[in-house]
Amino acid sequence: MNRKWIIPFFMAIYLPLLSGCWSSIELRDLAIVSAYALDKNEDGTYVGTFQLINPMNVPGALQGGQSGQKPSIATYTATGGNPLEVADRASTKVSRDLYFAHTSLLVISEELAKEEGLSSILDAMERGLEFRTTTNIVISRDMKAGDFVQVLTAIDQVPAEKAIKSLEFTEKLYGENIATNLQKFIKAAVSTGKEPLVSGFTVEGDIKKAKTMEQLQSSEGEATIEVNGIGVFKEGKLMNWIEGDRSEGTLWVLDQIQQAPVNIDWKDKKEAISYKVVRQKTNVEAQTKDGKPVISVHIRAEGDLRAIDVPVNVTDPHVLFRIEKALQQKIKDEAEAAIHEAQKTKTDIFGFGEKLHQSDPHSWKKLEPAWQDVYFPALDVDVTVEAFIRRTGMRNNPYLFDLNKKSD
Amino acid sequence: MSYRKFIKRKKPKEQSEDLEKVEPKSIGTSIKENLNIIKQKTGNSPDIIIRMLTFSHDPRVSTAIVHVDGLVDNPTINEFLVQSMEDSVQEKLEEKDIFKVFSEKVIAVSSLETRKDWDSLFQALLSGDTIILADGKKEALIASTRGGERRLVEQSDSEITLRGSKEGFTESINTNTALVRRIIKNPNLWVETMNLGKQTNTDLSIMYINGIVDTDIVKEVRQRLGRVDLDAILDSGYIEQVIEDESSGLFPTVTHTERPDAVAGNLLEGRVAIFVSGTPHVLIVPAVMIQFFQTPEDYYVRFPISTLIRMLRVFMFLISLIGPAFYVAATTFHQEMIPTDLLVIIASQTESVPFPAIVEALIMEVTFEILREAGLRMPNKISATISIVGALVIGQGVIQAGIVSPAMVIVVATTAIASLATPNYDIAISARLLRFAFMLSAAIAGFYGIILGLIMLIVHLVSLRSFGVPYMSPFAPLVPKGLKDTIMRGPIWSFNERPKSLHPQNPVRQGKHQKPLPPLKRRMVRTNTKEGDKNES
Amino acid sequence: MEQAKISTSQLFILMILFQLSNSLLIPLAMKAGRDSWLAILIAAAVSIFLFFIYRALYLYYPTLLLTDYTEKLIGKFLGRILAFLYILFFLYSAARVLREFGVMLLSFAFPETPLFVACAMMMLVVIYTVFKGIEVVARTGELLFVIMVMLAFFLFLLIAISGLIDISNLKPAFEDSPKILDTVFTETLYVPFGEIIVFTMIFPYLNQSKKLGKTGIAAISITGASLAFTTILNISVLGVPLIERSLFPLLTTIQSIQVGGFLQRLDVIFILALVIGGFFKVTVYTYCAVIGTASLFDIKEPSKLAYPMGMTVLFLSLIIASNYSEHIEEGLKIFPLYAQLPFQIILPVFLLIIAFLKNRKKG
Repeated sequence: MNRKWIIPFFMAIYLPLLSGCWSSIELRDLAIVSAYALDKNEDGTYVGTFQLINPMNVPGALQGGQSGQKPSIATYTATGGNPLEVADRASTKVSRDLYFAHTSLLVISEELAKEEGLSSILDAMERGLEFRTTTNIVISRDMKAGDFVQVLTAIDQVPAEKAIKSLEFTEKLYGENIATNLQKFIKAAVSTGKEPLVSGFTVEGDIKKAKTMEQLQSSEGEATIEVNGIGVFKEGKLMNWIEGDRSEGTLWVLDQIQQAPVNIDWKDKKEAISYKVVRQKTNVEAQTKDGKPVISVHIRAEGDLRAIDVPVNVTDPHVLFRIEKALQQKIKDEAEAAIHEAQKTKTDIFGFGEKLHQSDPHSWKKLEPAWQDVYFPALDVDVTVEAFIRRTGMRNNPYLFDLNKKSD
Repeated sequence: MSYRKFIKRKKPKEQSEDLEKVEPKSIGTSIKENLNIIKQKTGNSPDIIIRMLTFSHDPRVSTAIVHVDGLVDNPTINEFLVQSMEDSVQEKLEEKDIFKVFSEKVIAVSSLETRKDWDSLFQALLSGDTIILADGKKEALIASTRGGERRLVEQSDSEITLRGSKEGFTESINTNTALVRRIIKNPNLWVETMNLGKQTNTDLSIMYINGIVDTDIVKEVRQRLGRVDLDAILDSGYIEQVIEDESSGLFPTVTHTERPDAVAGNLLEGRVAIFVSGTPHVLIVPAVMIQFFQTPEDYYVRFPISTLIRMLRVFMFLISLIGPAFYVAATTFHQEMIPTDLLVIIASQTESVPFPAIVEALIMEVTFEILREAGLRMPNKISATISIVGALVIGQGVIQAGIVSPAMVIVVATTAIASLATPNYDIAISARLLRFAFMLSAAIAGFYGIILGLIMLIVHLVSLRSFGVPYMSPFAPLVPKGLKDTIMRGPIWSFNERPKSLHPQNPVRQGKHQKPLPPLKRRMVRTNTKEGDKNES
Repeated sequence: MEQAKISTSQLFILMILFQLSNSLLIPLAMKAGRDSWLAILIAAAVSIFLFFIYRALYLYYPTLLLTDYTEKLIGKFLGRILAFLYILFFLYSAARVLREFGVMLLSFAFPETPLFVACAMMMLVVIYTVFKGIEVVARTGELLFVIMVMLAFFLFLLIAISGLIDISNLKPAFEDSPKILDTVFTETLYVPFGEIIVFTMIFPYLNQSKKLGKTGIAAISITGASLAFTTILNISVLGVPLIERSLFPLLTTIQSIQVGGFLQRLDVIFILALVIGGFFKVTVYTYCAVIGTASLFDIKEPSKLAYPMGMTVLFLSLIIASNYSEHIEEGLKIFPLYAQLPFQIILPVFLLIIAFLKNRKKG
């Protein structure tokens, strides 16, 4: 019967399978790359620096390991004609297989981003099997990307994670930068109506010492990694930096603000009242009027009062209303300033073009070729802001207010 | 196709002719000769007790009582047989047919019959009945005196419930059927008996509820039991293996239980129970896969809870099936799927381990199986030592020596607990064996291997049948109404129909509208309360 | 034909799983760009007409397979040749699907594994299933369908809560209407919708032939809706340019999921969908080839054919193209025009006309 030869048949089929487990690799043969930094050499070749996690030295990972004695990362540097070649060259220096699936940070030096652009680099990353599209991109400002990934950090054992966490937290708490991953970058880069933004990082302090264990021995540390500005890209190349208030304004328009503080002046006192946004929504609408594109940005913010440095009676709804007005003006100024700045550099970082494409595809076809250079800079943007104070914190009036009353 | 094969089974082979043709088939007239035959056949075994009784008025008529020591109920024999016969010996018998006298006036046992052929006499004798022979009679009386030492009805060790009956089956087939009869007091509860096993002559009963069960299933059971020609039946496991649809597969297609309430519940759904003498394990056919994840207790507690527990059981089964395989696949093929922090932890643990993950897993799994087997077969006192050796020496030592990573120990231990927590041992051991197959396929092709293995398993499971009932029903083929009592356990008041896959003759289980409702006045309805109406709140 | 019967719900699930299988994973109707979901819906609607052609043929011969009634319709010699060609078509389709599946699997999860091994492992399971017969295929489908539905639900939930959906990616709609129709009639109608031609080999097993019409319409509409929904999801998460560049949009979508730092990198879900889908389509095609061959050459035990035919599919899948680009080229240009168009549309229509004429004479 059939059954008699089923088993030998199956065994025969499985026989070749036993000879090899082609795609399998043991964990101890992997070098987990946590960050990949790319610089440019004088001779035009790429210099790649790989930050590898050394699992044995990550504290808490293994009982009785030598954690804390040695740095939890190791870095290797290699050069090559393209990013993949760099990786191949690097594997000759490492005893293990370089593993990029857990790379959470791609650091590009400012120099490289300005001169070469990211297009060719990102294609290699995207095509590669291991690289994930959720890898974050940052730019190291005024320093080598390689140095950046070699800096040790105190609280976060893996420096790449420190960078990502500070990105995420500052994005959330201050709204002054933006976490961009490969996918977002590419999506924005290929669209004619939108340009990508990437956060910049700097290291403050003595970089050389920061690479040694000395960095971890003092509570202060020799150097710290800091988020610093947002880089604007055009045609894959870094154009300029947006900083401070400008970056906040940019994020307001981009609908990326989560919990940013807004400080307003009150009766000649600078930044007297601090307002914290807890909920925010920005709607961008695009229309064409008489063949000319018109963009209207509507920002709606809700939040609490956090610090009040002047004597105001916040229990009075009229006072609150005035504060709201001042807030609206402030946000509007920030947003408009950011838009003007973008228009000056002729880069549509806000995706106004894309909005126009969606709402009016026919006129977009006409506008598209000259959008960035002609139409966008001349764009008439109407910004309206609604700001609401929902709560005034844990106290009603500031004690300054009571003090004033006393003196009266 | 293969699943149709069970219909055209080969006919049972002709029974081989008895070699000892010399022996007389039926009883002779001489009591001495008859007793000699008994002695000779039983090899003069001392536990065969023969007692001669002679009538004083007519010494020609002598009688003999034969029974097996230990199998009989001694008080019955002493009081109702020996005593009363001795009493009657004093009197003068008018009736010539001494057996008639005995059966009508003298012997006061519940059942008495006359037999001629040696086979049935020996059968009765060895089952614990008493044989009464009389000189000049070409037949013998069989008095039912079965009894002797038996285990009492106790709580079953293997199926423990917190709620519900504490009774468990015993080794005595009569006690067992009685336990079920006590639950289902219904004349339609039918029992058929038969005797199987050439050497052991084991008693077997088939029990079903006439009017509910599908007669085809009963016929099928009868037919399959009819072709059994085994030498010995020492446990219901013997029967199980010869009446299964597919005995070479890993999955049981017959379930067994030690609990009368489980048997009763299954009978009421339209299944057939097979009782085998000498074992507390009663077989229930047909069985479907999901039954192995159910316990009688599920029906006694509130339904949302038992639904969650059943889901947990299926989940545990899956863990015990693919737990280590999943770990091996994730750490050797799909490291990108492990969150970075976790990966770093696992990586730091495996750093000093000298083996590939699959070897590590096999070492731990085999060690665990050895420990389990050792713990299972040892007396309780020694098994405590084994658990210490297992926990300290193997658990702690192996990690400190750096031979196996702690993560792997966690995985294997979780798997082990999951496999022990599966309610049915039969299905748990299938998972235990398949686990190794899954581990190997994970080592060869990662998740691809595991998924292919699972598909293969599903294909195998849906191709199985148990006594004509698809093994995966009511999932495949889908019977939407049947889903109420599967991984889910619907409320009792919703079980209005018996499982359709068993084709019950009477599909209606209970009246409609069994859902309890609070009294109308407690609900939020506007009623015109008249003065004087109770208006408590 | 074997003696088995399948129910309408089983046929329904078979049809859905068969059509969804690999089309869930690959970029479908991408020629129509942002409006590809519309192209899919139109193709589904058109394919309902195709389904009615197959159904009409079935109603003329409710107990016969496609490869049986060709003989009755156009004579013994021609009919047998046509039946044989259909079997080859099924075999070739099975091989194509297997190849596609193998390449997909290797290209994203197992780059170092030889194609032969991946395909052979899959074929092993397929052979085992085909060997067990249509009843087992249908029941396996029922269980796998549940898994697929649960996966789909889980995935959608994750995508929704991770806030990836950006409906504005779908705008502007209907940018290029002629292109949509062009896509429908050159691509989408044939794969996956036209492929239900294989079900002419399975209809005779149905136990309630009256309900076939409803079942078919329901199956095709649900397939169309779920494919369109998947496409909409992909577009709204990834945007058209990214989909156009990715081999497997669904994989890219899944890879973008990040929920709470832990629920990310859920590629295993994709492998699961991929293997189940691939398995199912190859199984149904191989089964139809096996059962067709058995009836054409009057073989008593069709299950015996499972091994040789399965092996044929396996080796065919390896030799049909030297690389994946060539395979795709064949799949998009040559195969639809020279095989799928005639086998799925022209020949059935032709057969139906003959059947109509023949039966009218009788009547």
